Amino acid sequence: MKNKYVKTLFLLLLFIGVVGSAQTVSGLVTSDDGPLPGATVIVKGTNNGTTADFDGNFTINAASDDVLVVSFVGFESQEIAIDGQDQITIFLAPDNELDEVVVTGYGSQKKKEITSAVAVVSEEEFNKGTINSATELLQGKVAGLSIYNRGGNPNGAPIIRLRGLSSIGSNIQPLVVIDGIVGGSLENLDPNDIESINVLKDGSAAAIYGTRGSSGVILVTTKKGKNKRTEFNYNGQFSTASPFDTVSVLSPEEFVAAGGTDLGSKTDWTQEVIRSTFTHIHNFSASGGHHDTTYRIAANLRDVEGILQNSGFEQFNARANFSSVAFNDRLRIDFNSSFTRRNQDNGFSEALRYAILYNPTAPIYGADSPFPFNSDQFGGYFESLGLFDAFNPVSIVNQNQNTGNRLEFNYGLNLNYRFSDSFSANFNLAQQESKFSNKIYYPTTSHFRGNATSPIRKGRADLFEEKNRFKLAELYGTYSDTFDQVDLSFTGGYSFQQFNAEGFFFSLQDFPDNSLDYINAIQASQDLNTDQNINAFSYLSPDERIIAFFGRLNLTIDEGIFVNASIRQEGSSKLGENNRWGTFTAFGAGVDLNRYLELNNVDLLKIRVGYGVTGSLPRDNGLFLDGRGISQNSPGGGFATSLTRVANPDLKWEEKGELNLGIEFATPRLSATLDLYNRDIKDFILLRTIEAIGGVDEQFQNAGNINTKGLELSVNYDIVDQDNLTYNAGVVLSSYESVLEDYILDREVRSNLGAPGQNSTPLVRVFKGEPIGQIWGPVFEGVQDGNPVFSDLNEDGVLKTDSGNALDDDVDFAVLGNGIPDLELGWTNQLTVGDWSFNAFFRAAFGHSLVNTFRAFYEPRLASQSSYNYVTTDLAVDGLTTARFSSLYVEKADFFKLDNATVNYSFDTSNWAGIDSLNLSLNGQNLFVISNYSGLDPEPSIQDAGAAGNGGEIDINNPDVLSPGIDRRTNYFASRTFTLGVNLKF
Amino acid sequence: MKMKNIKNRLYLLLLPLLTIVACTEFDDTLPGQFTTDINVPGIQTGGGDDAVAPGDGLTGAYAQLRNAGTANHGGYFAVQGLPSDEMLIAAKGGDWFDGGILIQLHRHTYTPSHGFINGTWVQTYAAINAANELLAGSLDANQAAQVKALRAYFYWRLLDLYGRVKLITIPDTDAPQSSRQEVFNFVESELLAALGVTAITGSLDLSGSPLGSAKSEFRINRFAALGMLAKLYLNAEVYSGAPRYQEAAWAAGYVIDNGPYELCGQGCTVTNLGRRPGVASDPSSLEGYAAVFAPNNGGNPEHIFSVNYDEATGGGMNFSQMTLHYSSQFTWNLEAQPWNGYAAVEDFYNSYEDNDVRKAANFIAGPQLDFQGSAVLDYATDDDEIPLNFTPQINELEPNSLREAGARLGKFSFKQFGRPDMDNNFPIVRLGEIYLIRAEALARNGNDWSLALPDTNTIRARAGVSAYTSLNAEEFLEERGREMFQESSRRTDLIRFGKYGDIWWEKPVSEAFKTVFPIPFEQIQASDGSLTQNDGY
Repeated sequence: MKNKYVKTLFLLLLFIGVVGSAQTVSGLVTSDDGPLPGATVIVKGTNNGTTADFDGNFTINAASDDVLVVSFVGFESQEIAIDGQDQITIFLAPDNELDEVVVTGYGSQKKKEITSAVAVVSEEEFNKGTINSATELLQGKVAGLSIYNRGGNPNGAPIIRLRGLSSIGSNIQPLVVIDGIVGGSLENLDPNDIESINVLKDGSAAAIYGTRGSSGVILVTTKKGKNKRTEFNYNGQFSTASPFDTVSVLSPEEFVAAGGTDLGSKTDWTQEVIRSTFTHIHNFSASGGHHDTTYRIAANLRDVEGILQNSGFEQFNARANFSSVAFNDRLRIDFNSSFTRRNQDNGFSEALRYAILYNPTAPIYGADSPFPFNSDQFGGYFESLGLFDAFNPVSIVNQNQNTGNRLEFNYGLNLNYRFSDSFSANFNLAQQESKFSNKIYYPTTSHFRGNATSPIRKGRADLFEEKNRFKLAELYGTYSDTFDQVDLSFTGGYSFQQFNAEGFFFSLQDFPDNSLDYINAIQASQDLNTDQNINAFSYLSPDERIIAFFGRLNLTIDEGIFVNASIRQEGSSKLGENNRWGTFTAFGAGVDLNRYLELNNVDLLKIRVGYGVTGSLPRDNGLFLDGRGISQNSPGGGFATSLTRVANPDLKWEEKGELNLGIEFATPRLSATLDLYNRDIKDFILLRTIEAIGGVDEQFQNAGNINTKGLELSVNYDIVDQDNLTYNAGVVLSSYESVLEDYILDREVRSNLGAPGQNSTPLVRVFKGEPIGQIWGPVFEGVQDGNPVFSDLNEDGVLKTDSGNALDDDVDFAVLGNGIPDLELGWTNQLTVGDWSFNAFFRAAFGHSLVNTFRAFYEPRLASQSSYNYVTTDLAVDGLTTARFSSLYVEKADFFKLDNATVNYSFDTSNWAGIDSLNLSLNGQNLFVISNYSGLDPEPSIQDAGAAGNGGEIDINNPDVLSPGIDRRTNYFASRTFTLGVNLKF
Repeated sequence: MKMKNIKNRLYLLLLPLLTIVACTEFDDTLPGQFTTDINVPGIQTGGGDDAVAPGDGLTGAYAQLRNAGTANHGGYFAVQGLPSDEMLIAAKGGDWFDGGILIQLHRHTYTPSHGFINGTWVQTYAAINAANELLAGSLDANQAAQVKALRAYFYWRLLDLYGRVKLITIPDTDAPQSSRQEVFNFVESELLAALGVTAITGSLDLSGSPLGSAKSEFRINRFAALGMLAKLYLNAEVYSGAPRYQEAAWAAGYVIDNGPYELCGQGCTVTNLGRRPGVASDPSSLEGYAAVFAPNNGGNPEHIFSVNYDEATGGGMNFSQMTLHYSSQFTWNLEAQPWNGYAAVEDFYNSYEDNDVRKAANFIAGPQLDFQGSAVLDYATDDDEIPLNFTPQINELEPNSLREAGARLGKFSFKQFGRPDMDNNFPIVRLGEIYLIRAEALARNGNDWSLALPDTNTIRARAGVSAYTSLNAEEFLEERGREMFQESSRRTDLIRFGKYGDIWWEKPVSEAFKTVFPIPFEQIQASDGSLTQNDGY
């Protein structure tokens, strides 16, 4: 595919044809990265040309006074006079950025020909330091791409949003395409193996991917072998992390003075469950080539510790990329495969929450209790009984196990055959297999979920296992040609994708004692003997298929006007026959004004506009059929089902139409891109409340529209550009607002604050016609007799401030903030002085608020609950003894942080035998944060996993995307990390 | 290089490859899910007091009694009990405020967006739909009569709670919102049809009824249908404006005179499954009134029609969780920690004479002892006394009720080593209430409360308290309250006696329109105008 433009050039020159006196010239086309196989060599002014072979060598007949034009994608063309030489070595320098070829859907384009919003982040721009997932590389680097992993749990998956919410009921994660293979998993990709990442931001770029591109597309290019000579590369990172901040609570003395129940000890619970960590990461790769083949193999090893005791993971990842050419270089074969094994210790982040609220006068161990306390039952730990939602945090982290492992194996094969200079065909075949298992064991002495207080059914062992499979077959062809001033390229093809998933879960309780390890405990569970006690389920997905036909046309007119159009027709097994197929189109046009204005010292002034339609599918399979659940097992083996889901055979694609207007400007030192977009998402697939008269009060329907308007700007400037000193600064910023224009209900409140005592306390309102993310509640005025006094906002003389009245017309509630930031900013600084380089990356978000739930539960000095510790912040109100949600607990969470700073030194290795380069770096992450937010982490919470009380578990797989802005008690503590990095090439 | 040639080649090469990989087939089946109605009757394995012909294929319909909130938090039990003067949930500091919705129920300030009121609606219609689906299939006459009577019972709940509802009898259809009178007529006619008669008279001949006449406590027989009808007629004046007390008395009388049931009194005992070996005062068996509601109350002679709860196969009764203190786990060795929510209103608790056996049976009060007989300790206490002691007095409704304040709901008594789901069967129709229905119906029909004396005294005798020699409406209501505590009867009774709007502890006078609940906001919103709100809301 990359050769498309070369061929165009080649053809152009062919038409011009001049013939000179014959001579055979041979030579080598090479570059910094080694020989350039496939480089085009043309006798200037003729149609006489050839391409360099796999070793970069070429032979051509030319006259001795001819000039050779040598070109290769990604490099600046050169003209070389033969001057009677018969052996010429031509060295090509990399192209300037505008001619850079950018990978787009099913092909690539020159950057300047692109008419949609595409961001390119290359290896140099990636975030540095201890980076455990590919998404962390991008955090803050792409305008409009929000990536948040609140608290930075090493086993937590970051939430990725491109341009805000792209759907409510459907898939909202961007599509990942790795080396041209759609549907890849970033989890199976070590950050060290990535060369560059492109983000297709708008609908016109993503439409070629249809459904799965609806939330944006992330195209990852992995590193490939380049050289003939084998090159070895070692990357090592050694880091230590410590908690950035902890929630401040009363000391034991303060707690007792405040009327807390004195249990006689002094314990700093938070310090007991957190730690400083040591993490090391090693990446070793070998790359090179032989004859017609290049390769790169890499092994990655990570041993990562989390700041919570007993949490972290070990991961081994291997990747092998092979490339080969055959049949006179007409066939190109790329084969990539990777394998990942990860063992993770998920730990129990709940311990962080219980550490904050646990009585600071309680002893860790029962033996230290000043009064008689039988701690044998609890493995020697003290447990404060008789209190809802309180568990000894040290016991939680030490006694229980929550481990998981993941095995993943992927391969992708791409065959590219050039039938002629203008037509080539591609065949992609890929498969991904993954297996995940999670083992959780609560011994018989764990009060936390281990049922140690009960005389029966003590202990619990859960086992969850899941297998996923994804198959892909794609066939597409590309035809390119040139007519007069028009370069044309057409791509058309077919795509087949199939997912399968199956899994099971079971939970067993009732073990004789703690002498059994996990697997033996399962076998010894008394539940196996007790009627009906086993909690188990299994599931199997149907063949979940996507089948699509697609086509795309790219036109470049006069090298200054660019037109792109695409169409994709896609069918999905998730929809019923009535509306199975959807058609998604995109159109884009751009003009390089500078080609016509020829401004001084300006490389590019491009205006482009793109419009694209993509679709989204429901999350679940089979919504077009009735769903039923088992309503009753009866003694004797009978069972009955009852309706749990009403079929909707008319369910259709959610449709997203996006108009994007962009301006790109570049001078040799400055580049800037401005994108404005307007996005309408129609026909959400949502569970809608229907009348309960049919037995079920919800049905999946197409209902609701969201409009998002946004702006994204990125500017990059080489402020100083001297031989020994360079300073480059870049800023990306983005802002958007999403308005729910239509919805299943006119008014709705969501996201319960939770137990204890604040159930039925919604925190977010969703009203038709309003921006999403509105935090909603009464306005705090002061304290009276320990109770909060709220404002009579509508001045009707009646105070209606209970959350249970949140939807009443005359409720005295106000919008207390919005969970979505108004502005997100990333600011990169790169300074090089000789062999030293300095890199500082600042990140900021403004305008968002967070509900500080720790404060909402534990800051009021509840007289009746004197065994929880109290949270103390500057915002605490004296004398408040009642916990009621209000504006008091909603805080602005604007922040500006030094996310990442690196000092790097490159040794001069020119005299070191066998060593190509050696770099040492020191990096700090999360170095400082400026924020007024009193909680742990001011990063926006863009979706809500819900409340969990009394040892309950949250369901992280079904977050509420309409409830941003809630800082839950389940969040991990943020940490600060220092990393020493070594890079050695030899 | 000619365009035409290239095009030709393109198609030639694409087509064979396409046939290799091209697939445009989609599978419409869902191997991992249930998509059609399945009722596997199962095999009768016999044995045990809960064994009830599970082979009849109606299991799913009757299971809806459990799913419809009969004995758990947040549904029918909550909206019947919490707005009455018999029970409440106080806000205990940070615990159990829950956005004020529990206090709204107590103070009758509930609104159409109240979650429990919507939840009850949804659960009840789910139960009705299960019945409708069965009726759309093929049932024999007896089964059809049972399912119709069951459906009528659920419509009675809707009639009592909301008044004006849609009468849906065929799956996947809609119907206009009926008036309260129409709903009343429907429930009446369905029950009469199941009994094979056109009206209740003093000389009933039920020989034409497709329902059975033998005891079948988990399946509706003639006596169960008559009991439901008696309850309907007793409240007819509230529902339709027209008194039907004579029919209520005849229906109740027929059950008493012809049914194979008797009050569980002296000698009617079950083993006390809640007994603590270390507590000498714990009896080894439960007798009389207490036995009617015990965990092992299956086959109790007083049960005419009950909901069959089972800790494993029939979950949905969670009283131990809902009412007991966290530390009460040690009194009954409960598998799960309770939630410390529901408690009895103090005045209601005090309405019992101390020697009334129902007082000890219905409540848990006083110092709490564990399995060994030691005091249950609460290290997190808020009243400076570590031993747990349920005081009938509740210091305040909100915000800071003491956590051990309030006598607890103990009627459906707890067994040792109980699970979060309890075993006790919940009577929908029981003979004790039938006596009280006849008593009240006779009194109201004859406009003379002394006519209620014989039946009332029958009930009082079983409770171990002295007989009344005279009676008025107020005393009768109190007596009925003492007998029927925790059986989801009180709200309906208070309304019938015109007392629902009265003042009681921490509850002001409430408007008359509050005697029916609002049609839930969500339902009105989803109904596209076909549901309208009840007056006053």
